[in-house]
Amino acid sequence: MSTAEKYLKPEVIRQISRLDLRAQFIVKGFLQGLHASPFHGFSVEFSEHRKYTPGDDPKDIDWLVYAKTDKYYVKKFEAETNITGYLVMDLSRSMGYTYRQELTKFDYSICLAAALGYLMIHQQDPVGLLTFDEKIRNSLPPKTKRGHLGNLLSVLANLKPEGRTDIAQSLTQVAAMLRHASLVMIFSDLLVEPEPVLEALHRLRHAGHDVILFHVLDEAETHFPFDGMVELEDPESHHTLSLDAAGFRRDYLAELEAFRETYRRECFQSRIDYVALDTSMPFDKALTEYLVSRSARG
Amino acid sequence: MSFVNPLLLAGISLIAVPIVLHLVMRRRPRHLEFPALRLVRQRHETNRRQIRLRHLVLLALRIAAIALVAVALARPSLQLSKSLGTWGSREAPVAAALVFDAAPRMEYRQANETRFEAAQKLSEWLLRQLPRGSRIAVLDTRLGAAAFQVDRSAAASRIEQLAPVANSQSLPAVLDEAFRLLARSDLTQKEIYVFTDLARAAWPARAAARLQRRAAELPEVTVYLIDVGVDDASDFGLGELRLSAQLFSSRSPLRIASDLIRKGPAGQRTVELFVLNEKGEPEKRDERVVEVEADGTAGLDFQVSGLGEGAHQGYVRIVGQDGLAADDHRYFSVEVRPPWPILVVDPRSPHADAEFLSQRLAPDDWVKSGLSRFECETVAQPQLAKTELDRFAAVCLVDPKPLAPAEWDKLTQYVSAGGGLAVFLGRNARPVASFNSPDAQRLLPATLLRQAIAPEGDIHLAPRDLRHPILAAFRSAAGSVPWSDMPVFRYWELGKLADGVGVVVPFSDGRPALIERSVGEGRVAVMTTPLSDVARGDPWNLLPVNDPWPLVALTNQAMLYLVGSTEEQLNYFAGQTAMITIDPAVRYRSYLVTAPSGINFSLAVDPKENQIMITSTDEPGNWRVQAGGQTSGADHGFSVNLALKQTELERLTPDELSELLGPIKFRVARNRGEIERNVSMARVGRELFPLLILLAALILAAEHILANRFYRE
Repeated sequence: MSTAEKYLKPEVIRQISRLDLRAQFIVKGFLQGLHASPFHGFSVEFSEHRKYTPGDDPKDIDWLVYAKTDKYYVKKFEAETNITGYLVMDLSRSMGYTYRQELTKFDYSICLAAALGYLMIHQQDPVGLLTFDEKIRNSLPPKTKRGHLGNLLSVLANLKPEGRTDIAQSLTQVAAMLRHASLVMIFSDLLVEPEPVLEALHRLRHAGHDVILFHVLDEAETHFPFDGMVELEDPESHHTLSLDAAGFRRDYLAELEAFRETYRRECFQSRIDYVALDTSMPFDKALTEYLVSRSARG
Repeated sequence: MSFVNPLLLAGISLIAVPIVLHLVMRRRPRHLEFPALRLVRQRHETNRRQIRLRHLVLLALRIAAIALVAVALARPSLQLSKSLGTWGSREAPVAAALVFDAAPRMEYRQANETRFEAAQKLSEWLLRQLPRGSRIAVLDTRLGAAAFQVDRSAAASRIEQLAPVANSQSLPAVLDEAFRLLARSDLTQKEIYVFTDLARAAWPARAAARLQRRAAELPEVTVYLIDVGVDDASDFGLGELRLSAQLFSSRSPLRIASDLIRKGPAGQRTVELFVLNEKGEPEKRDERVVEVEADGTAGLDFQVSGLGEGAHQGYVRIVGQDGLAADDHRYFSVEVRPPWPILVVDPRSPHADAEFLSQRLAPDDWVKSGLSRFECETVAQPQLAKTELDRFAAVCLVDPKPLAPAEWDKLTQYVSAGGGLAVFLGRNARPVASFNSPDAQRLLPATLLRQAIAPEGDIHLAPRDLRHPILAAFRSAAGSVPWSDMPVFRYWELGKLADGVGVVVPFSDGRPALIERSVGEGRVAVMTTPLSDVARGDPWNLLPVNDPWPLVALTNQAMLYLVGSTEEQLNYFAGQTAMITIDPAVRYRSYLVTAPSGINFSLAVDPKENQIMITSTDEPGNWRVQAGGQTSGADHGFSVNLALKQTELERLTPDELSELLGPIKFRVARNRGEIERNVSMARVGRELFPLLILLAALILAAEHILANRFYRE
């Protein structure tokens, strides 16, 4: 494994404390693993004209416009403009959970979001940030400037997952906020009733947004590695339940699979990309998902 | 079910501890934060029910473990037999009879210890184990009544004094005595400890049947058979000696037959024959090297000739050592004496009848070679009155004519003094008045009535009971003697038989043919048909014709009986009373009896008696009875041997033992551990402690496994 590629592993990336480095390492590691450049052949769709100024590439001059107006205009292409991306972070208390005290779901999501932001900004795509718990908390408008990445990362780095969450409400709010069709990347553990969330997702989708739903769960939540008698407490509702973990594991995993399947099925129907992740998985799966989605739009 | 420590059953109340813990101090499960709780909640209910069930299972296991440990500590036991009315206890006093098999085979030596010593050692230990206050009796297979010992130390010293005896009784007989003794005890626990090698010979079936009946009256007695025997015993032993004769004339050789009996694998032994010389020192006369198969028997045959007149003793022995020394020697005593003089009285002078009888008793060639047992002298009946009778051992009246009262009187005196008289009645016995006269009837066993005639030839001698010494020769040939080929046509029918008269041989019609009676110290035998009625055209019988061997045997045995040879016995088994006939001519007041061990004691003899009785023949070997000095005095000897069954090592199989003891409660133990186990099992039943502890351990293990599974850290 090359040095860069190892940064796709959460257990490696958690040893790097600075988020910008984390994002850089993740993306570089990822790009090195790809055979073709992700930047090649993207979106050549025309978006607007502007006056030719000396220094512009003469091959970009739109001669049809020159024929009509007798002025030099150059074409501006979408690749040069953007897909507006929004990183939507769930700030619920449950996102701060980790069983093995390594990367929490939130840390994992932050790393992923930072990497994606890094990637997008490097592609000249404007990227914004929205965080929510019971409603939208932070909002960073999408920009392409290099300096924007620093803002984005510093906001991400200072986020704290705490308090209760209302995903459906927040997503509805997001849908209302976004005016242009955007790529909405949601990072959440989705540990609420699925129906309202799905409804909100549909709404978002109907508003013309592309949605990638990163369903981030802790490793313990996907594998249920407990044994013996345990008393489980929900960090948000503080409900507790006592059970025999070993005997319950099979039931739990079935329940979890059913839960994910619900999302998978619903998302598929509404053409939402649903990416089931857990904190032990390498970051490239999420990044690939983004690139696939991006190219689909190209 | 009974308990050694019933108080400890209170420990069962400790089961409250896990119950309280279950209710009050229920173990806290591990607390974990888990955001995906909503995924758990749906299926939680079934899991909770399972948990509760597991809790209850754990609780039940803990309660069971504690209860089991408490019960186990109370030492419960299962009484295997219901007959003991009381609850058994190890500590309650018992009435115990310690029975020792004291047969010589208990001297079988293994690991430098005889079986008897092993038994003593075990019994001394056992004695210490008996509870305080127990009544203890010590019995062995000697004859004698049993009694409880005063105390334990008396019992111990009695055991110490015990030694094997030569004439050991059968064990069932001694056990019978032990049962009778225990029946008298009022203690509830009654135990018999039998120290035995479980040899088959010690357990005759008939005695065992008697014992079973006795034991049925005392069902509370437990019999412990403490087996000190050896399974793979190896021994060479000598069988009983079979002497050709105990009394015989000087020139005939003495033949001694015996067997070499092997217990164990095949082997070879040298067997030697010794005869004691005048000084009492053994002289080797013969030896045989004998091969014997595994657990087999090989015949031995010795012949000794050239023994001079007088008493001779000797022994046969196996050279070399083996496990059991007691059966390596067999002793014998014989007496060589001159032929018995017999006076044959012939009614007529030609002596034809007498000669016929003489030839039967002492054939010429036997007389010449010195093998004859008798020396016959013939006189005609008229000379009887003049003949000195005292020098004859017996007198035969062959077909006598009527005798004068003086002659009857003379004969009566002769017989009373110890002589023998044989009367062969025949055609000359007429008139019968002389034979029926009071003088004659003092001697003769019955009056003569008439001659019975059976011309059809369907009457013959028909001996039934062959136990009489006269019929000894026919015992081996019983049933094959052709009596019916020798019909009797005529015989004297007798009147009522006098008291003390025995019919030795009857005719086939039941009338007496040969009768005998004792007169004074002598004997009279009367044959109602002649044995020498040589066919003259009208014979009384056909006994002498054809092959007369039954006749020869009958006359010879009758003569031996009359001269007193048949009852002379010089070889005895240990415990039998030895009877030594002394010569009335050389009589002493007291005799010195020397036992084989050299111990001697004097024995006073009643001057009127012709016999010495020695009852204490419990030492095998050659005994000597002497009086009047070494050279000219009386010198008799007899031998005492162990009966074969005293040294037979063959062991009972468990099946045979069960059959012999039948309903008697018995247990077999071989060592201290087995004795302890058996005794405690019988006294207090089968201990359940180990079983319960094992069960408790298993339950605890199960509890541990389950608990670990449930509460894994």
